[in-house]
Amino acid sequence: MSSFWRQALQVAKRDLLVEGRAGEGVGIVLPFGALAVFVVPLATSGSASLLADLAAPVYWLVTLLFGMQLALRQTATETVPQRRLLVLLGLDPVARFVGRTLSAWVLLIGLQLVLIPLVVLFYEPEPVPTPALMLPALALYALGLAMLGTLAGDLTVGLRTRTALAPMLAAPLAVPLVMGASQSLISISRGEGILTWTLLLVATDLALSVAGVVTARPLEETAT
Amino acid sequence: MTKRILPVLAGLALVAALAVALSSPPDVLQGDFVRILYIHVANAWLAFLAFGVTAAASIGWLVRKKPGYDRVAASSAEIGVLFTAVTLFTGMIWGKPIWGTFWDWGDARMASTALMFFVYLGYLALRRATPDRQARARRSAILGVIAVVQVPLVYFSVTLWRTLHQGLTIRPDSVQMEPAMLVALLVNVGAFSLLYLALLTARVRLARLEEAAEAHERAPAGRAVTAPRLETGQ
Repeated sequence: MSSFWRQALQVAKRDLLVEGRAGEGVGIVLPFGALAVFVVPLATSGSASLLADLAAPVYWLVTLLFGMQLALRQTATETVPQRRLLVLLGLDPVARFVGRTLSAWVLLIGLQLVLIPLVVLFYEPEPVPTPALMLPALALYALGLAMLGTLAGDLTVGLRTRTALAPMLAAPLAVPLVMGASQSLISISRGEGILTWTLLLVATDLALSVAGVVTARPLEETAT
Repeated sequence: MTKRILPVLAGLALVAALAVALSSPPDVLQGDFVRILYIHVANAWLAFLAFGVTAAASIGWLVRKKPGYDRVAASSAEIGVLFTAVTLFTGMIWGKPIWGTFWDWGDARMASTALMFFVYLGYLALRRATPDRQARARRSAILGVIAVVQVPLVYFSVTLWRTLHQGLTIRPDSVQMEPAMLVALLVNVGAFSLLYLALLTARVRLARLEEAAEAHERAPAGRAVTAPRLETGQ
């Protein structure tokens, strides 16, 4: 394995280890997201057809907002001395971006998988004919969110308003991802093809990865 | 010199543009509501230009690290946000009588323009949140380069997604517009371009003064060692 990928995997492994110890994502963000899924029906008339219609929008909204919280979790934020140490150790900034994205991606996939049964239980949406077809869309959606979260997190590192600012920067740019994933689900439900929406997701992920690679070095200077 | 000439020129041009817009013929289908479009389209074009200038100046800062680029990028983004807000507002007041609704969620152009607006609001928020000048310039330059992707997306949204919004009226190969209306539109675009230039030069000048005031406030020693002021009259 090349030095680049070894570095990226080390960063991802470190992030997941820290998450395993601190439990910020699994212990706080995830239950909070589940609570949001639970609270929405309480704010409606409780009509079964309304809840069934709301199932997918609530799912995408919660995965977007709480996914951002996961990607920007405090325990994954490196302090300035830690960043300086990584620079002195010769860590490739692009490998750092890839590693951070990978760890956030794993956590986002986890969030998505936990929320699916909750939404199905509480909202009882129309069954999707071939749910397995949604897996690539979900994976690409989570990957895009992970990259956006990593980029927004690096842009706002060290700022007092980071908690509100980073999701504000990321959310409008995440719209093509939400569109791609949500329209894939609609198309599958109607028995139509999802090639166009998959291509939108792939194109957005590619654009974000280019942005991540190109800005990795200037962003490294920002944080040090 | 430009400090006074540009605003005067812009003011005169706007008066002329208003006169041309009001004297142009009404549209067969839209009637007098077509006049809103002269402002709407001109503001939309200027918003694209403003964000393009932000991106170009951001690249300039990343390459040269000169503060002038940062001032231009930030000033142009502020003006772009203003023009985008006017575009959205005029589009909505035109949409109600013509389309029967202020806002259509299925329309790609409207949705993408609103998103562009929020992306650049985020850009301005990022600048406000970063106290250090160097860090502010770097962070916003990076975002300024990333955010400009929105501009072609908004522009081509009417050809990429066939929704409610009309397609491109002015193309390199054809213009689908009455000559009198085209003149009114171009005069408005010219007037708003002058307004953009006037606002940009004024905002850049203000940014320079803000930086000077900031540097003055942060100046070490000097004022810190002046004699204490004693309360009097007690």
